Amino acid sequence: MTIQDKVADCLVRAGSTFREDQKEAYRKAIADEPNVQSCWVMQQVLDNAIVAEERRSPLCDDTGIPHLFLEVGPKRMVTGELLEQIKEGVALGLRQLPGRPMAIKGDDYARIDQSGGLNEDSGALSPSPILIKSVEEDVLRLTVLMLGGGPAIRGITQRVFHKHSVDVVIDEIVNRAIPAVSQLGCSPCVLAVGIGRSQFEATSMMMEAMAKGNFNEQSDFEKRITNKVNEANIGPLGLGGKHSVLATFTKIGPQRASGVRIVALRPCCCFEPRRASVEL
Amino acid sequence: MIKDLYTPLTEDIVSQLKVGDVVTITGNIYTGRDAVLPKIVNAAEEGTLNDLGIDLQGAVIFHTAVSPAGVGPTSSNKVEIECTFEPLSRHGVKMHLGKGAISKETVKALAEQNAVFAIIPPVTALLGSQTVEQEIVAFPELGMEAFNRLKVVKYQAIIAAAKGASIYD
Repeated sequence: MTIQDKVADCLVRAGSTFREDQKEAYRKAIADEPNVQSCWVMQQVLDNAIVAEERRSPLCDDTGIPHLFLEVGPKRMVTGELLEQIKEGVALGLRQLPGRPMAIKGDDYARIDQSGGLNEDSGALSPSPILIKSVEEDVLRLTVLMLGGGPAIRGITQRVFHKHSVDVVIDEIVNRAIPAVSQLGCSPCVLAVGIGRSQFEATSMMMEAMAKGNFNEQSDFEKRITNKVNEANIGPLGLGGKHSVLATFTKIGPQRASGVRIVALRPCCCFEPRRASVEL
Repeated sequence: MIKDLYTPLTEDIVSQLKVGDVVTITGNIYTGRDAVLPKIVNAAEEGTLNDLGIDLQGAVIFHTAVSPAGVGPTSSNKVEIECTFEPLSRHGVKMHLGKGAISKETVKALAEQNAVFAIIPPVTALLGSQTVEQEIVAFPELGMEAFNRLKVVKYQAIIAAAKGASIYD
């Protein structure tokens, strides 16, 4: 199997498949949710995942923008040729899924105001810059994440004055998350959180949280955020209930010697993080 | 209990719907969103719907694009979409199908026309398995935002606004 084929298959899985921990999170939430209407929504989402996996078809018609996270072991090599092969695999995968044609044509101005129209080729959608991380494991592993537009609209990357208190940071994350989840609509959410020294680093941490987070492995920090947001009773699709958020995926990076923490927050929709990994 | 609905919807059937009802929808429905719905309103107001081959009596309009990826609801409270609820209901639409909270004024306008707003989860794969036909009816130049007709079987939705009440109240 070529690199391109491996990446293409990975992208299709990312856009069409719930991981087992994700399915289990839904089953638990449905069993635990007293609001009948909210149960119905979550069952629809779970049924959708089963059909999407069987058909290898998109979970959502907003198939998302491909984001790439590459883990590189000590003895593995990343070349320009490999990065090009990955890009070719992304284009192939987008055509196979198929992705919604969302590539905007034209120069800088035309791409901003969308006056140049859309490219009808699903594969014309370019992926975001690749995030590369060195790891101790002897592996060259690519994770493809498909990030939808709704969570991008509601996401917030901003400083928090921490006042030397974790509680202050958690409370601020919760205060930002509640309106974001409410306005997103496509809940229940997963909150992706990255905390770093700059906007770039915080967002990188958030990307890693989405790439590696697990519904069954929730830290105390993550549980506290999830529980506090769920107290808002927003519920699936805003219909009320205990399960506005199914989990929080957090990555806390190095921090600056100052009173400021930069927090990136993304209210991932009911299908996200849509992700899959492949060893190249 | 789930109520089974068949299009076109009658005045009597719609008058029995209340907020919180889960329904299935079977039959022909239309699709449209920001780009095309204001054009449909203009055609309705000008009396040219027949020329476009559109019959809104008892119709369901699903706020979605139709792309190779499938269908799924967009937010119905976008200005260009929500402002079409009242005129399209006046011209015969009985159900607006999408997602998100709509304003009190829109909820009231729907009630005055005996029309409802229903929320459909963004379950594209499931909806794909329940869509048996699709065709572009009007404004094909809008691509995936053209006005389409879908033939659907048992799409599930929940009534979110009816008789002046909203599920978000």
